[in-house]
Amino acid sequence: MNPVPHPVPGEVVRFVDLSVHLTGFPVFDLHATGMAEMYLDTARQQVGRSRFDEFLKALRKACAPRLGPAKLEPTDREIARAVTYLWYTGAWPRLAVAAHADLRREMANREFVVTPSAYTEGLVWSTFHGHPAGAKPPGYGTWSIEPAAPPSLAEIERECGLERKDATDHPTEEHRQDERADEAAFAAHRLPGPRVARDVPPSAVPTARAQEPEGNPA
Amino acid sequence: MTAAATGPETRRDHYDAVIVGAGWSGSLIAGRLGGQGWRVLLLEAGEGGTESWSGHLDSVSTYRSAVAKVPNSAYRHNTAAPSPDVLDLSPKKGGGYTADGYFVQDGPLPYRTDYLRALGGSGMHWLGAVPRMHADDFATGTTYGYGRDWPLTAKDLEPYYEEAERELGVAGDAAEQRKLGVVSDPDYVYPMHAIPRSHIDEHCRRIDGAEITDPMEDTRTLHVTGIPQARNSTPNPAYDRKKGYRPKGAVGLPNYGERCVGNASCVPICPAQAKSSPLRVQADLPENVTLLTRRVVTRVLRGQDTRVRGVEYRAYNDPASSVSEARSVRADIVVLAGHAIENARLLLFSELAKTSDQVGRNLMDHPTTLAWALAERSVGPYRGPGHTSGWEDFRFHGKRGERAPFRIEISNWGWSWATGAPMSNVTSALGLGGDAGGTVKPDGLLGPDLRRKLGDDIGRQLQLQIAVEQSANPKNRVTIDPSRHRDALGNPRPILTYDLDPHTRDGVYAAYRVSEKIFAALEATPYTDHKPVHGVPQLGHFRHRETDLTYQGAGHGAGTHIMGEHANDSVVDSYQRTHDHPNLYAVGCGSMPSIGTSNPTLTMSALALRSAEQIHRDLAALNQPVVVRSAAGEKEKA
Repeated sequence: MNPVPHPVPGEVVRFVDLSVHLTGFPVFDLHATGMAEMYLDTARQQVGRSRFDEFLKALRKACAPRLGPAKLEPTDREIARAVTYLWYTGAWPRLAVAAHADLRREMANREFVVTPSAYTEGLVWSTFHGHPAGAKPPGYGTWSIEPAAPPSLAEIERECGLERKDATDHPTEEHRQDERADEAAFAAHRLPGPRVARDVPPSAVPTARAQEPEGNPA
Repeated sequence: MTAAATGPETRRDHYDAVIVGAGWSGSLIAGRLGGQGWRVLLLEAGEGGTESWSGHLDSVSTYRSAVAKVPNSAYRHNTAAPSPDVLDLSPKKGGGYTADGYFVQDGPLPYRTDYLRALGGSGMHWLGAVPRMHADDFATGTTYGYGRDWPLTAKDLEPYYEEAERELGVAGDAAEQRKLGVVSDPDYVYPMHAIPRSHIDEHCRRIDGAEITDPMEDTRTLHVTGIPQARNSTPNPAYDRKKGYRPKGAVGLPNYGERCVGNASCVPICPAQAKSSPLRVQADLPENVTLLTRRVVTRVLRGQDTRVRGVEYRAYNDPASSVSEARSVRADIVVLAGHAIENARLLLFSELAKTSDQVGRNLMDHPTTLAWALAERSVGPYRGPGHTSGWEDFRFHGKRGERAPFRIEISNWGWSWATGAPMSNVTSALGLGGDAGGTVKPDGLLGPDLRRKLGDDIGRQLQLQIAVEQSANPKNRVTIDPSRHRDALGNPRPILTYDLDPHTRDGVYAAYRVSEKIFAALEATPYTDHKPVHGVPQLGHFRHRETDLTYQGAGHGAGTHIMGEHANDSVVDSYQRTHDHPNLYAVGCGSMPSIGTSNPTLTMSALALRSAEQIHRDLAALNQPVVVRSAAGEKEKA
C-alpha cells in the first residue's frame, strides 16, 4: 500500500484514463482542468450511477486497441459523446432523443453549462491554440500574430500514448493535405450548419450541408 | 452619487432636469449638465451593481455559465424592467415566427434586435465599434431618392464627433478615416492609436485591389480598412495638440483595464473593462447629479400649455417581483434617453408629441446577413476584438439608390454567430444529438481523430457580418395597446410591426452575392446557408430574386422619434427637442432620420453632446442662477 494517499480518488483517476481515449488529450491536460471529479459527478447524475458504471465497463472494453463509435452500442455511444462534449465545452449536451428515452432520464433533455469555470476549462479552445472567449486572455495585440498550425494526428496520438504502428513520426504538410482530401467526401456533415434561431443550443445545431457549385447550398 | 431603491430617496421633488435612462446618451448629458452646476436626476429602470468590481465579476460568471452567449447573457432577467432578448424569437415550421418575450410582434418579419435595461443600458453589451457617418449618409432622400434627409450635415456634427470620441475613448487611425472620407480635419488624431489588426485582417488584405461587381453592376475595388473602436489601446501623445490622452480603465478597480488584452468577448462583456461603457461617465458625475436605479418611468406628466412638468415612476426593491411604489418628480426639463423603442413607448403612453403622427414610426435596424467559409489554412479565429477591419467599399455613392448600401465586417470570432461554433463544431464532429428522427448517429469521431479534426476546422473559420442600411419607413413601427399587453409592473409592452422593403432586400441580396465573390477571391470554401433546415425556415428568412436569404438583428434600433425641420412630419428638431413641447427632449438613436451603415452609438453620442449644449441654454433662459435656486429648492421641501 502506498504510504502517501493519492491526491485524486481512484475512480476519478480511472475516469480520466478512459477519457484520454474519448478526448485525444493526455491525462496531464485532463487533470489540469481541475474538472475531472465534477464531470464524473455530472455524468453520473445525468445518466444514473449504475448505468454510468455499465457504460464505463463497455467503454473500457471498446478502447482496446482503439476506440471508435461503432464499437459501442447506440446508447453507450451517445453517452461517450456526451462525456466528450462535457470535456470539450464544459456543458452537458442535449442527447439524441432515442438515447434520452432509453436511459429513462427524469431530467429535461437540455444543454446546460456545469459551472462558469467548466466553460473556461473547455478543451475545444486548445485544439486550435485558442483561449476561451471571455477568459484567459493572451494579451494586447496577440491577435495579430500568425497562429501555430494545430498538431498532426501522429503528434496527438504520441502525446496520448495511443500510437498506431503505421504512424509516421513527422507528417509533412503534404501528408496533412492528403488527410484533408480523404475527408472531403464527408466533410460537410462533420461541420456545423446554420442555427434556425439563436436559442438553438450548440449541441442541437444541425450539420452543414454539401455545397452546390453555384454557392447556394442544396 | 448612485443609489438603488434601498438607498436614500430623491432628496428633492424638483430638479432642473430629469433624465430617463442611464445609458450612453443619458449619462453624457447628465455629466455635461452636472458640470455646469444644474441639479440633475438620472433615473435608470434597470438594476445597478455592475459599477462595483464584485458586481462586474458576477456578470462575467453569468456570461460564462450561459448556454447561448447572446448580448444579454451576462445580465440577469428583470421582471420589473424586462429587456427584449434575441432568444425570445423562434421560427415556425410553415414559415413565420413566434415572439415570446417582452416585445409583442405582429409584422411580416421579426425585429431581431435586443437592448438592455440595466445601469449603462445597451452600452454594457455593445461591441464598441464607432465609425462616423459619411456626408453621403445624411441626405439620401435628396441625393438618391430614398429614405429621409437629416436637418444636419456631417460638417455640423464633426466637432461633436470629436468630443464624443474623447468621451467614449476611441482608438483609431485618423489618416485611414480621412481617406474613407469621414474625417475632414487634416490635423485630427484619435485619443488612442488604432487597435492592432487581426491576423484574419491580414489574411483578407491579400485581395486588396481586387474588383468586385455586385448584381446591380456596381463595381468596387476592395480595401481592408480598420474600424475605430471605443476600446483602450496605446494613447496617442499627439492627441489634443500634444496634450495626450489618459485612458479610463475599469470602474470599481483602480489601474485595471487600461488596455485591451484580447478576451474576445466584447459582446456581451469585456472582463477587463478595456471596452468603454457609460459606467465610466457615471463614475465621474458630480454631487449635484443624483443617479437612481430601479426606477421605472411610467409616463411624462403634462404641465401648463404645451410644457411638461415632470415624470411619474415606479420604484422597486426586488427585480424578481412586480412589487413597486408610485412616485413622481418635477423638473424644468425632461429628457427621455431610454432606447429608441422605450422612448417611443413612453411618448405614446403619455400621449405627447402627437402632431406629426410619427412617434413610434420609422423603426430601423441594420439587417445583418452572415456569410461563412473555411480558409485554406489556419487564420487564427476567436482572438481579439469582435472585428478590427472591414470592407467599407460598398457603403457610399454609386448605385446606392438601387440597392441599400452595406458594410462588410470581417469577423475575428469564426463561425460563432452563424452556427454556434466552436461548441457546435464539437457536436457535428462527434455525431452527437441524433439524426432528424432522434436516432443515435452511427458514425462520428472520438479521441485523437476528433481533436485533430477540430483543430483543423475551427482554425480556418472565416465569417463576414454584412450590415445593410435600412431606411425610414413609417410602416415599420412601435405601438402600444395598454388594454391587452402590459408588463408585470403594468407598463405597456412595445408592439412591433416590422418588414424589410425592396430597397433593403436588394441590399441584403447584393451583400450575399458580394460575399460569394470575396470568398472565391480568397480561395476559401463557402458554407453560407440560408435555406430552411428540416423544413423549418431559419429565423429572418425571406426569398428575394429567387434566392434564399436571412438577416440577423444588429442591435441598432433607431428612428422612432425622428428628427426633422417641421412639426408636421417629424417628432424632434435638430437638438432632439420635441416640436410639440419646448421642455421635452427625446434623445438617442430614435432621433436619427437615417443610420447609413455606421454602428450608431458614436453618432448618438455626438447628438447627445450637442443636445446638452441646447439644454444648458434652455435652462439658463428659464432659471435664476443656480445658487439662489438651490436655497428655494430646500425651502420647498421643508
